[in-house]
Amino acid sequence: MPAKTKVAILAVAMIAAAGGITACGGSTNSGGSTAGNHAASGSGQNSTGSGTAAGGSSNGVLTVALNGNPTTTDPYDTQDNLSYTIEKTMYQGLLGFDKNMKIVPVLAQSYTVAPDAKSITFTLRQGIKFADGTPFNAEAVKVNLDRAKDPNSHLKRYSLFSMISQVKVLGDYKVEVDLNQPFGAIAGNFAHPAAMMISPKALQEYGSKVAQHPDGTGPYEFVYWKDGSDLLVKQNPNYWGTKTNVKEIDFKFVPDEATSVSMLESGEAQFVFPIPTDQVSSLQSNSDIVVKHTPSIVVDYIAFNTTVKPFNNPLVRQAINYAIDKNGFVQVVDNGFAQPATSAIAPNTWGYAKQPPYDANIQKAKDLLKQAGYPNGFTATLVSSNASGTVKADQFIQQQLQQVGITVNIQPLDSATLDSEIFVPASQSKLQMYFGGWSPSTGDADWGLRPLLTKADFPPTGYNLGFYTDPVVEQAIQAGLDTADPTKRQQAYATAQAQIWKDAPWAFLVVPDNVFAYRSNLQGAYVMPDSTLSLNNASFTN
Amino acid sequence: MGQYILRRLLNAIPILVVVSIIIFLFLHMIPGDPARIAAGPDATAQEIEFTRVRLGLDKPLYVQYFIFIRNLVTGNLGVSNRTGMSVASEIGQHLWPTVQLTILSIVWAVIIGMVVGVVAALYRSRWPDVVGMVGSVTGISIPDMWLGMILIEFFAVRLGWFPVAGYGGWGHIIMPSFTLGLGVAAVTARFARTSVIEVLEEDYVRTARAKGLPRRKVIWKHALRNALIPVITMTGLQFGFLLGGAVVTETVFNWPGIGQLLVQSVEYRDYPTVQALMMLFSVEFILINLLVDVLYAVVNPRIQLR
Repeated sequence: MPAKTKVAILAVAMIAAAGGITACGGSTNSGGSTAGNHAASGSGQNSTGSGTAAGGSSNGVLTVALNGNPTTTDPYDTQDNLSYTIEKTMYQGLLGFDKNMKIVPVLAQSYTVAPDAKSITFTLRQGIKFADGTPFNAEAVKVNLDRAKDPNSHLKRYSLFSMISQVKVLGDYKVEVDLNQPFGAIAGNFAHPAAMMISPKALQEYGSKVAQHPDGTGPYEFVYWKDGSDLLVKQNPNYWGTKTNVKEIDFKFVPDEATSVSMLESGEAQFVFPIPTDQVSSLQSNSDIVVKHTPSIVVDYIAFNTTVKPFNNPLVRQAINYAIDKNGFVQVVDNGFAQPATSAIAPNTWGYAKQPPYDANIQKAKDLLKQAGYPNGFTATLVSSNASGTVKADQFIQQQLQQVGITVNIQPLDSATLDSEIFVPASQSKLQMYFGGWSPSTGDADWGLRPLLTKADFPPTGYNLGFYTDPVVEQAIQAGLDTADPTKRQQAYATAQAQIWKDAPWAFLVVPDNVFAYRSNLQGAYVMPDSTLSLNNASFTN
Repeated sequence: MGQYILRRLLNAIPILVVVSIIIFLFLHMIPGDPARIAAGPDATAQEIEFTRVRLGLDKPLYVQYFIFIRNLVTGNLGVSNRTGMSVASEIGQHLWPTVQLTILSIVWAVIIGMVVGVVAALYRSRWPDVVGMVGSVTGISIPDMWLGMILIEFFAVRLGWFPVAGYGGWGHIIMPSFTLGLGVAAVTARFARTSVIEVLEEDYVRTARAKGLPRRKVIWKHALRNALIPVITMTGLQFGFLLGGAVVTETVFNWPGIGQLLVQSVEYRDYPTVQALMMLFSVEFILINLLVDVLYAVVNPRIQLR
């Protein structure tokens, strides 16, 4: 064979191969992902596929662009809101949250917390089935909670259930959960998405692999999960509630926010969260798109290492609170989509008590610094994640503190490196200032304060990064757990918040908004204050 | 040639052993605790320790390395810390899209690059050359991120010809492969131009012309074949790099390729996946180098493989 022919054949073969390969990907859609679908065990093959829905119409498929990848579909093993967003379409809890983070019964008809806060009793709704047909009853609840409270299950949300001593089935539809210590915030733990109910049959069949075979009582059931691409759910025929005209939800994992916005504009996606705040005005001019923003329960703050100079002096910490213009932060960093923080927890969190603001006051900040012995300021390092919005916040803080003579060195780090900087014991900690945010997803003041500001949660294990501790706060937070009486709990958390505000272990910054957008033919879909999506009542108007 | 290939493959084994040690040590040296990350932000000390044991990170380093190698030899790549799926199925899901994207990008690159390069060489110092080379500098300079977003804005959002992003049929692959291929095309064009110009000045080309062969035959039969060799080397290397994933392009077009998998896995300190990917890249490069050497011999029979 002459060499010329060989080259020609080679070239033809190469082009043909390329053609064959793409054609293959095009015709089957899941052609390239059989390896992944094997995780979904066959069920993936029944999919009707999810080609691109061109324009705004969607054939009953709601495509949601999410800013990242889920890590699991097992609620008890989930630590991120993105995974919860997906799980909440397939699973439901005994309790849940409404739009304003108020606790409402879901699979339970009613519940009562014992006055000593040592047990909670649920009366369950009847006639509910899991997607696989297994009936939902008291036994099913027991199976789930026994798994959740067992440290040997090695589940990431163990800490929400570790106080459960035993689960008693009192009847087919009545369960009592006993606690080994008073825990006044227990209802919040059951409303947390981590406490959603998995089919006992699925748990038995798949054990620790249940994350690849999710099965709940929610309006949708699992179809497939392709890592890095999308996860599809379809209507659950056994669903007990009202079905809408959304037949399938396709969660697309889109790491680039600008791409999500383009997908919304072209109609490839009908719901996008989060929307970068600088894109809001251009989207608002598009009549096919609705942009909304609602307050979150996140508080952005700077934690000071209260064990090292100069941050061991409350006057210095107060001075920094006065030096930073919170309204300016809202405008510059969040493009107006945030509110200045008025306590260590957000207004939408249960137990919130409003504190008198630290209004921006450069002179007062300077006076406090002088009083503390730093008339000429000092130099300090601020660490944070390296997300672009966070770096913008760092720079704003740097500029603000410069005005009172404090020179801030910014150190943005990737999350793993950041973790290794901040999760070290006080004796080894080199931390001075840390910028971050916290979202207490039980919706309760306890989870907003205890993990961040009590002694039991000092690093390396806890999130009290500044090693702050105060007897009044410790006592008040414990008092909030010791009773189920809402008035007493409210009082306890008010005391704690007032003391924290005065001590200023943080610079209290802002409560950012959740900014989201959707096609105008979609209704009933929104972002909850805890930054998970509520899609179960979503429907198309045409 | 068979013997040659076999020898090259055997030579690869010690290379892979050294690579595996380097990968393993580097990965364990970078800051970040996989157990802490996998356990999540509000995990307790106990939960972190549970996670550490579950991931096998409580064992001494040499034991972990031994397990890694033992699994590798038996074809078991382990389980991902991040998703809990098997690493093999995870890589399988991402590798295929990357292979598709790579091949089509190279097709773009070779077609555009060769045409521009050869035309530029044949019309050296005249306007097609100037236009081609300005175009190629532009092609090299355009950031993928920017090109991708411009393509999306015009062809997806405004004209609606292609979907914005995602993985699916022909429509999905055109824009990302073009974005990725254009940079390679630009490099290919410059290589092809230089190479063709050099070959055209060779004695045998002058001889061919002198003996009265038609211009077209001189170019196609004598010049181009020889000019192809450096282009093949370059394309082969680019092929290898592209198979390693194209993070920026994948991100802009939400293409579920290897690049995204690698970035996520490194961020998550997902040791099993990162190790497996690095080994995969090493194997890919060894095979591509081999393939390039074999292609030399096919294109130019004077090159003998020993």
